[in-house]
Amino acid sequence: MQKPWLVQYPPGVPAEIDIEQFASLKAVLASSCARFADLPAFNSMGAVLTYRQLDEASRAFAAWLQQVAQLRRGDRVALMLPNLLQYPVALFGVLRAGMVVVNVNPLYTPRELEHQLKDSGATAIVVLENFAHTLEQVIKATSVRTVITTQAGDLLPPLKRLLTNFVVKQVRKQVPPWRLAGAVGFRQVLAIGREHTLDDVPLTRDDLAFLQYTGGTTGVAKGTMLTHGNMVANVLQVAAWMSPNLIDGEEIVVIPLPLYHVFALTGCLSFFSKGAQIVLIANPRDMPAFLKALRQTRFTAIIGVNTLFRAMLDAPGFVDVDLRPLKLAVAGGMAVQHVIAHRWKERAGVPLVECYGLTESAPVAIANPVTIQEWSGQIGVPLPSTDAAVLGDDDKPVALGQVGEICLLGPQVMKGYWNRPEETAKVFTANGWLRTGDMGLMDERGGIRITDRKKDMIVVSGFKVFPNEVEDVLTMHPGVLEAGAIGVPDDRSGEAVKVVVVRKDPALTEAQLLAHCKQHLTGYKMPRIVEFRNEPLPKTNIGKILRRELRDASHPTGAQAMQPAVARGPA
Amino acid sequence: MKLPARYRPRRIVLRDGREVTLRAIAETDAAEIVQAFERLSAESRYSRFMQHKKRINEVALQRGVRPQPGREFAFVVTIPAPDGIDIVGAAQYLAAEQGNAETCEFAITVAEDWRGSGIARHLLASLLRRARRDGYKTMEGWVTAANTSMLMLARKLHFKVEPVPGDATVLRVQHAL
Repeated sequence: MQKPWLVQYPPGVPAEIDIEQFASLKAVLASSCARFADLPAFNSMGAVLTYRQLDEASRAFAAWLQQVAQLRRGDRVALMLPNLLQYPVALFGVLRAGMVVVNVNPLYTPRELEHQLKDSGATAIVVLENFAHTLEQVIKATSVRTVITTQAGDLLPPLKRLLTNFVVKQVRKQVPPWRLAGAVGFRQVLAIGREHTLDDVPLTRDDLAFLQYTGGTTGVAKGTMLTHGNMVANVLQVAAWMSPNLIDGEEIVVIPLPLYHVFALTGCLSFFSKGAQIVLIANPRDMPAFLKALRQTRFTAIIGVNTLFRAMLDAPGFVDVDLRPLKLAVAGGMAVQHVIAHRWKERAGVPLVECYGLTESAPVAIANPVTIQEWSGQIGVPLPSTDAAVLGDDDKPVALGQVGEICLLGPQVMKGYWNRPEETAKVFTANGWLRTGDMGLMDERGGIRITDRKKDMIVVSGFKVFPNEVEDVLTMHPGVLEAGAIGVPDDRSGEAVKVVVVRKDPALTEAQLLAHCKQHLTGYKMPRIVEFRNEPLPKTNIGKILRRELRDASHPTGAQAMQPAVARGPA
Repeated sequence: MKLPARYRPRRIVLRDGREVTLRAIAETDAAEIVQAFERLSAESRYSRFMQHKKRINEVALQRGVRPQPGREFAFVVTIPAPDGIDIVGAAQYLAAEQGNAETCEFAITVAEDWRGSGIARHLLASLLRRARRDGYKTMEGWVTAANTSMLMLARKLHFKVEPVPGDATVLRVQHAL
C-alpha cells in the first residue's frame, strides 16, 4: 500500500521505526537510566528524581511487589495517583516486576472505582491517601488484597515532605478519614524492597503492560489491552516524530495532564526515552500554583489539551511566563479550536501541534509534523509504521476526499478489550483495521481531517463521556422517569454534557439531581446543563428516543416534535 | 377494508438445532412480554428503546399486543416453558407516523441466550413480507450506532443504511417494499 503522507515527513523522521530495538518498556527504562543516569528525570514541586534514583526506587518497589506481596507476572496492579513522583516509581516498579498497570482516575466515585477494580481483577493498588476513603467503600467487593498508600509529599526531601504532608492533611484538610486493614506505606515499601532482590522477568512484546480503561457505548468502561510491544512502538513512533525539534538529554517538558490518561502517559514515556526532564503538575486547575511552576522552569516543551491551553492563555499571570525556550507544544485528546490555536501561536511563537489517536492505539496514530509553522486544522498524517485509511460503510476505502470512517493499522494498535471478545470483534474490520468511530477525509498528501464522530460519545476536555452511562445514573434516581444525555458545544471544554429529564417526582430539583450524579459520576462526566421537561421525551412511534430532538432547549412539546411539517426526517 | 389473512404459527429449526415457534402476537402475551423484558440486559433494552427503561409502559404494552389489523403487526418467537411459554424474540412494525400509509417503522428484540441463532433474520424477513402485504412502500428503522449485529443483518437483507444528520448515536435503515 502506498503512503502518500510520507512527502510531509520532515527530514530525519523515518518512514518506519524499528520496534525490535526494545523488547519491553523495561528495556526502554534501562536504556534511559543507563544513558542519562545523573540527569533529572522527574520534577515535582521543585523536587527532582534523577534517572539513577528512579532506577533504584523502582527496582525496590518492584522487588517488594515480587518478594513481599508475592505478586506474579501478569497480575494487575492499580495506580490511583495524581502526577506526583510516586507515579513513575510505582509505574516502572509494576512494569519491571512483570505485572500489568491499571491506571485509575483518583477522582473516581466508588461506583466507578468498583467497576474498574472488579473488571480488571486487580489484586493490588497504590493509592494516594486523599482518595483512600473511596477505596475503603468498595474494596470488599473486589479482589484487591495488597494496598499501598502514600501521602502527597512522600518522595520529597525530608523537611519539605513533613511540611507538605502536614499542610495537605491538617491545613487544607484534603484527606478524609479512612481505614484499610493491612495497608502498607509507600516509604516502607521502598525501604523493605531495597533489602530484597528483583527477579528478572523476561518480558516480551506480547506481554500486557497496561489495562487502560476507556468508556464504552454500553455504559461501562472496558479495559484496553496494551502490550509492551504496543507501548514500545508508540513511544518510539512519538519520539521519532518529535526528533526534529528535540535534543536527547537537553529538554524540559511540562506535563500538566494526568498520567493516568493514555495521552499524557505515552507522551511522558516518549520524552523519558529521550532523556528529558519531566515536570509533573499535580493539579493544573490550581492556576496560581501551575503558573508558579511554569515561571520556575525554563521548559522547552509542553503537552496539553485545548481546554488547558485556553485556561493558560486566559490566566492573567501567564504573561509573566517565559516562553522563549519553548520549542514544541503538543495538543491532543480533543479537537483544537481555531481561536485557541491562533492565540497560542501569537503568544508562544510556536504553533500547537495537534495529534490524534485513541486509547486503543496507545494512543498516537496521526499527528501534524512538529515543524509546521501554523496550526493546520488537520489532525495530521499517520506516524511512522502506521497506516490510516478512510473506509466506507462496506469497509472498503472511499475515494480520495470523500468522507468515511478513519481506520488505523500499526504496531501500536491494541490486542483487544480485556475479557470482551465481542466488543473486540466489533471494533476491528475483517482485515484487522481498528475502527476509530471518527468520520473524516484524507487529501492527496495524506493529510487527514475529522468531520464528524460516528460513535455516540461526548468529549469533555479530552475525556470521553458516554451518554448511556450518564443516563444510567440519572435513572437510578427514584424521582426520574426518563432521561437523555447529549453533548453540546462548550467554549471551555469543547463539549459539555447536557441532560434532559422528565421527572416522576415533580418536586425534584436540579440541585438534588446533581448531588445524586456527584455520588456516581466523576467530575468530567457531570451534567453541565440540566433541562427539565414536563412532557415525555420525543420518541418515534415504535418508542425509540430521538436524541437529536434533545439538543434544542426551546423545543416545543414532544408530540409536535414527532410530526415535522416538512419531509419526514429522523425526527 | 379487507382484513388480512391470519398468520399461521410456524415451527422453525434454528441454526444451532433448537426449535422455536414463530407466530402473531396475542392479547394473552402481555404478561410474557413483561417477563421477557425483565430478562433482557440493560444493553438490549437500550438498543430497543434508546434509553434506560426500568419497566414497560402499560399503555404501550396493551397497544402492542393488539396491533391494528392491516396497519400494524407483531410477531413473537416462543419456546415451551414450565408455565406455558417463554418469549425469546419479538418484532413489530407500525405506521412511521400517524396517517402515513407509505412508511412503517420496525423494531426487533431477541433474548441474549438466543442471539446468533438466526431468529432476528427470520423475524425481519417475516416483517418485510407482512408489511408489503399491508401495502406499505417503505420499511424503516432506527438502530444505535453500537448495535453492530443489527446493522449487519439489515445490510444482509439489503436495507440501505444511512447516518442521521445531527445525531451520531443512531443510523437509519430502510428498505423499499
